[in-house]
Amino acid sequence: MNQQILVSEISFGYQYKPVLDQINMNVKKGSFFCIVGPNGSGKSTLLKVISSALKPQNGVVYIESKSVAEMNRKELAKSLSFVPQNTSLEFDFSVKDIVLMGRHPHIHKLRGETRKDVEIAEQSMKYTNTLHLAQRSFMELSGGERQRVILAQALCQEPDIILLDEPVSHLDLQHQVEILNLIKRMCVDKNLTAIAVLHDLNMASTYSDDIIMMKNGEILFRGTPFETLTVEHIREVFETPVYISVSPVSSRPYIYTLTKTIVEKKDIRIHLVCGGGSGGSLIPELSRNGFQLSCGVLGIGDLDWKLAKESDIEVAEEIPFAEISEAAYQRNKALAKAADLVVLTGLYFGKANVRNLELLTEADIAAKPLYILEDGSFAERDYTGGYGCELYERIKSNPNSRLTEVHCLYEEILKVGKTHEK
Amino acid sequence: MKNSRIKDIAVPLLLFSALAASIIAAIGIGAVNIPAAEIMDILTGHVQTVNASILMDIRLPRVILACVAGAGLAVVGGVMQGIFKNPLVDAYTMGMTSGAALGAVISIVTGINIRIFGIDTTGVFAFLGAILTLLFVYSLAYNRSRVSINSLLLAGVAVSYFLASIISFIMMLNHNKIEHIVFWTMGSISMATWSKVAVASAIILPAILVLLFYARELNILALGEDSAHHLGIETAKLKNRLLITCSIIVGCVVSTGGTIGFLGLVAPHIIRLVCGSDNKKVLAYSAILGAILLVASDTVGRTLIQPVDIPVGIMTSIMGGPFFIFLLRKQKLSKV
Repeated sequence: MNQQILVSEISFGYQYKPVLDQINMNVKKGSFFCIVGPNGSGKSTLLKVISSALKPQNGVVYIESKSVAEMNRKELAKSLSFVPQNTSLEFDFSVKDIVLMGRHPHIHKLRGETRKDVEIAEQSMKYTNTLHLAQRSFMELSGGERQRVILAQALCQEPDIILLDEPVSHLDLQHQVEILNLIKRMCVDKNLTAIAVLHDLNMASTYSDDIIMMKNGEILFRGTPFETLTVEHIREVFETPVYISVSPVSSRPYIYTLTKTIVEKKDIRIHLVCGGGSGGSLIPELSRNGFQLSCGVLGIGDLDWKLAKESDIEVAEEIPFAEISEAAYQRNKALAKAADLVVLTGLYFGKANVRNLELLTEADIAAKPLYILEDGSFAERDYTGGYGCELYERIKSNPNSRLTEVHCLYEEILKVGKTHEK
Repeated sequence: MKNSRIKDIAVPLLLFSALAASIIAAIGIGAVNIPAAEIMDILTGHVQTVNASILMDIRLPRVILACVAGAGLAVVGGVMQGIFKNPLVDAYTMGMTSGAALGAVISIVTGINIRIFGIDTTGVFAFLGAILTLLFVYSLAYNRSRVSINSLLLAGVAVSYFLASIISFIMMLNHNKIEHIVFWTMGSISMATWSKVAVASAIILPAILVLLFYARELNILALGEDSAHHLGIETAKLKNRLLITCSIIVGCVVSTGGTIGFLGLVAPHIIRLVCGSDNKKVLAYSAILGAILLVASDTVGRTLIQPVDIPVGIMTSIMGGPFFIFLLRKQKLSKV
């Protein structure tokens, strides 16, 4: 019940062009609240409506149950500060001057700035690690330093709420992390509420308590990072296929883009013999490069099976940990037969999957070019009591087989592709 | 930064001494040279000589008018550069001076000239001319809630030319008043009287104080309008107040001294080079420097080719034109 900002039924549009459509949201005190969405979805506009820089045609923004539209500018500036993407000046000022400008809403017109104002400015600079820059000229600073100075200025206003419009979009990785850490720290230390528009979904995931996802001026999804950042939501909002796992570092959702096919290259079909993760880098890499893939036989639920399903490629599958049945074997054979070349990855063999090796010794399959990725000695990966090794030696001695390594494979496949085209 | 502390004392000291020196020089030099010692006698005592009346009735009001007008134009320049965030903007490049001159010329030609409490209609017309031109130029450059600074300068220069040609046209039609009009277009303070000085001071000096009062807000405006808004400034209101005050000053200067160009460009720029961009300093120091520059150019203009009294507007343009080009080039280079 400690909601601090309440946005109620906000609609905003420029002439003939609606930007926000009946937006409702509320933000808890002391939370890091994030707005994400594609370009032109109205994120920045929403932020400016909250800050009262833009007047909505409909609806009200409340801060601590006071309507923003009815607050005067100085009163509002005492409870809310705004950090833009970047700040450039035509006339140069010292860092200290810039930070002191943050005291403006507190300074009495006739009395001017007091010792207290200067002290608060110095504390803000200390907090943002900019005190050593105090006498430097603002325009000489690097992007990251400038943004820290602007944060010091925002802190100097002694606000309860800080709005940030893509605060790190033009910064390098080191400074993105530095600035976002700083903002997160403010939320915790000073019970400040931060509302940020962020482009980087992984940054949003790592830092936010709550996220709203916007598209075409509407909020489509809202909630915690786990609730909002899902494959389906991101596909709907950003029209981009992604893969999501939990980051081992932040324990938050981590989003990978699945750029399916960068180039539609050739009509080359490749059959992968893989399993247990041995196809891990090959499946996305090859499918991204435009090859037609198939693989098998894979146990349902196997790592490679999951990946193959996500990448939408054909799989010959079998019940988990069961021996390969005749049906699965035939299905696999059909896939391999349709392929232009076959790749044998460095997987482990046991009773359950040894028939995948048998397949490679069959005459119509052995006639196809075979690439063998050697991952250590085969004997160490063989748990069939020597039968696998025997098959493997036969396969290796086949004149159509070639030993290679992962990083050479792609290059070699391209060569085959070319000769194949002729 | 000890450097800035020293500057805080040295710069105003230097400016005030230079102002005093230029005033004394300006009232001493002329067709009749009056030595400094005699000036002091005349100013302090009751010496009733011919020199005393030259000094008190002719030179002193002219010099004081130059001080007030120079200070006013320089501060207006500084403020407008702050508002539009561009060092090339001032009352002259925005066409305000031409607009004011046209207003004054219309009042002269039509013969509408009523005096109310010492303010004559020429002044009011000049003020209206200044503010209407400003509005017009501003609306030309205004596009989709943004003001492009390039369009603003272009519009200012274009409107300036247009108004100047209208003034020339009016001159052609009114041969009998041509001399009177030329005075406005060239800018001269040779007709200074104590009553003009009193009216100009009563309007310009308080207006300068109003502008100085908003120096802090003007600084914050340098961050951009959105940022200023978020720091608690009602930007639209602030800009209106400042621009109206600027128009009053320009109107008043033009109605007493005609169009005097480039001062508003030169003075704030020199101060910024020395003291940085803090408008508390820029505006205050520009006022003094503007006074010095106008007194000096007027003195040079009146003594260079005696007995010809070269209008001060010509002198400032001769100095300011090249300076404007220098600024323009410098800005271009810094953007490459």
